[in-house]
Amino acid sequence: MTATAIGATQTPLQLLPDALNGSFKLVPAIMVTAMLLLFLSIGYVFRVTDTDDLWVAGRSIGNVENGMAIGANWMSAASYLGMAALIALSGYYGLAFVVGWSTGYFILLIFLAAQMRRFGKYTAPDFVGDRFDSDTARAIAALTTILIGFVYAVGQARGMGLVGIYVFGGDYATMVILLMAITVGYLALSGMLGATKNMAVQYVILIVAFLAGLYAVGFTQGYSTVLPQIEYGAMLDQLGTEFTEPFTSGSYYLWIATAFSLIVGTCGLPHVLVRFYTVESERTARWSTVWGLFFICLLYLSAPAFAAFGTDLYAKNVGNVYGANGMSGAEGDVIVVLASQLANLPTWFVGLVAAGGIAAAIATTAGLFIAASSAAAHDIYTNIVNPDATQRQQLLVGRATIVALGAIVTLTALDPPALVGELVAYAFSLAGLVLFPMFFLGLWWENTNRQGALAGMTTGLLIWFTAIVNEVLPAYVDVLADAAGESGAIVPIYADVFPAIGAALAGTPIVFAVTIAVSYATDEPGEDIKRLVRQCHSPEPMGQQQSAEDVVTDGGSDDVATDGGSEDVATDGGEDTTEA
Amino acid sequence: MPETHTQSSDNTDYQATDAEADVDYLDQEVNIFKPSTPFMRDHLRVVWAMFALWAVVVFGPVTATAIAPGVMTDVTVLGFPLHYALTAIGAPGGALVLSLVYARKRDQLDDKYGIDHGTDAPATDDEAAEPAATDGGVDE
Repeated sequence: MTATAIGATQTPLQLLPDALNGSFKLVPAIMVTAMLLLFLSIGYVFRVTDTDDLWVAGRSIGNVENGMAIGANWMSAASYLGMAALIALSGYYGLAFVVGWSTGYFILLIFLAAQMRRFGKYTAPDFVGDRFDSDTARAIAALTTILIGFVYAVGQARGMGLVGIYVFGGDYATMVILLMAITVGYLALSGMLGATKNMAVQYVILIVAFLAGLYAVGFTQGYSTVLPQIEYGAMLDQLGTEFTEPFTSGSYYLWIATAFSLIVGTCGLPHVLVRFYTVESERTARWSTVWGLFFICLLYLSAPAFAAFGTDLYAKNVGNVYGANGMSGAEGDVIVVLASQLANLPTWFVGLVAAGGIAAAIATTAGLFIAASSAAAHDIYTNIVNPDATQRQQLLVGRATIVALGAIVTLTALDPPALVGELVAYAFSLAGLVLFPMFFLGLWWENTNRQGALAGMTTGLLIWFTAIVNEVLPAYVDVLADAAGESGAIVPIYADVFPAIGAALAGTPIVFAVTIAVSYATDEPGEDIKRLVRQCHSPEPMGQQQSAEDVVTDGGSDDVATDGGSEDVATDGGEDTTEA
Repeated sequence: MPETHTQSSDNTDYQATDAEADVDYLDQEVNIFKPSTPFMRDHLRVVWAMFALWAVVVFGPVTATAIAPGVMTDVTVLGFPLHYALTAIGAPGGALVLSLVYARKRDQLDDKYGIDHGTDAPATDDEAAEPAATDGGVDE
């Protein structure tokens, strides 16, 4: 009845992908290692020294390169593995993920990208904290960032565990633990080496692995020649009606709710926004979003084709895809690798496809953990708990966060509540409910104030937690399971309106309403905050190293403020940023 | 890019540039429903129009399928049932095309208001050179 029930109609989720050939394979194992080492060494070659560089790569990256970085950031196990899985298992409903995860970039482009670049802060907590002039708001945003990292990473851990079975053999639990350990090791190394500049290369490697798999399967099996992204259409009628028939595994409302949630989630995800700080101007922010969407579309137009090929191969070689003894959720989540294996491609080649999936999962998890550790060390610990924290203490808190998060993610991933794509979608729900309304209202309505933001974010968190407790936790907590009974949700009607996977459709408008109403009921924000917002919308160019705050504070008099683009001010602003 | 710039400078838009010089953007209210400057009014007109198109591209196919499932699933395009093609290829592809159109329109708006983000901005020479090359690539 709800989203969780779609992929795996039979709970608990079957954890071994039976059809996958699980044994240790030397060449693929070397490939996984080589990919990760390559990411690291490129990161080392282009390493950065000061912190400003680490965060935003010196704000000097151009359109195409930043577009690829957006693509690489985007390409986690959810895109690489999870999307094809959802399409194969849930048919037309799976397309809600394709649509939601790609078209959201347009909203980001027209409403947020350039304005965010002008605001010029590095992280979501920084934006929220500065825009609403509140350490509490900053802490809530930081907490949300950590929660998003956690939920997102559970999906990645499941993905790497499942694909790890193909590469290293062994059972699911061992693989999750081993690969999460590798992730934390990778994180330690990449943190030391400063791996920001290698995103473009990472994108190229991952997309090549994915497309090579698709083309090879399509070509060897006679499905396609030059354009599998279109050619799979001709085989759709042989796949069983479940593959294309609309609204069989998810209602119209659930489809819309899912797509909407993923769209607003895209606009609220902290690690997506940080990519706009790396560009030289707001114009580059716009064009690199266009390029980013192009690079994302390359994968997203290919995933349904891969799913179609995989589904057909599964039906021919393994058995029924749909129905009681059909493809399991675990098999679905590795369909990309499974398709390559069932097409009898050489082991090293299947290994390449698998290695791409694992590398995508590890790199994404590393990025999420870095964001979470900075949120914990900088935004929560230093800003609220201990304002006098030394560099050493901050580092300790940051590292402790990573270790703790790694442990919790590993534990949760041992018994994951849903498919890779669904798990990641929970994180999007959260981002869309809590952060997106703050970004949007914060940038587009200058009278949004601190009280409004606090009320709105609390409402968003509440809606999300309720949806998760209602629908996802019953699988873990016996008391809740009893309360939930047959339907799987404690309050079925709440799950219908606020499905965990698409809670933002009904929830985000509520958060908007609360934020606006409370902002109206309380005092308007101060003139300095308003000027900050206005600066984000002014068409006047800004210096490369400037943030809106620099312009507004430097410009005590109107003249200077208007001349914000002039060189003197720009240089001063740049220095301020580095100190702060 | 330089072509469009000269083009718009030649006609009446040039006056808008002069008028804009007087606006102090830090004194103008920001409210998405109440654009307070000519620039913002022009910009929001583009934004809302494109947003409407986007909503149709993204939610149109699935809604049409819910309303008329028979027609949407029976008609085939390149082997695809119509609803599948419009959703799997039409929506992401459509959003990509719309993004491109928006970015171009926004650049034209920059030209109209005489805004320059680096191509020949009064920045240092080496800073100006790189964006010019990159932007040129995009326009082709």
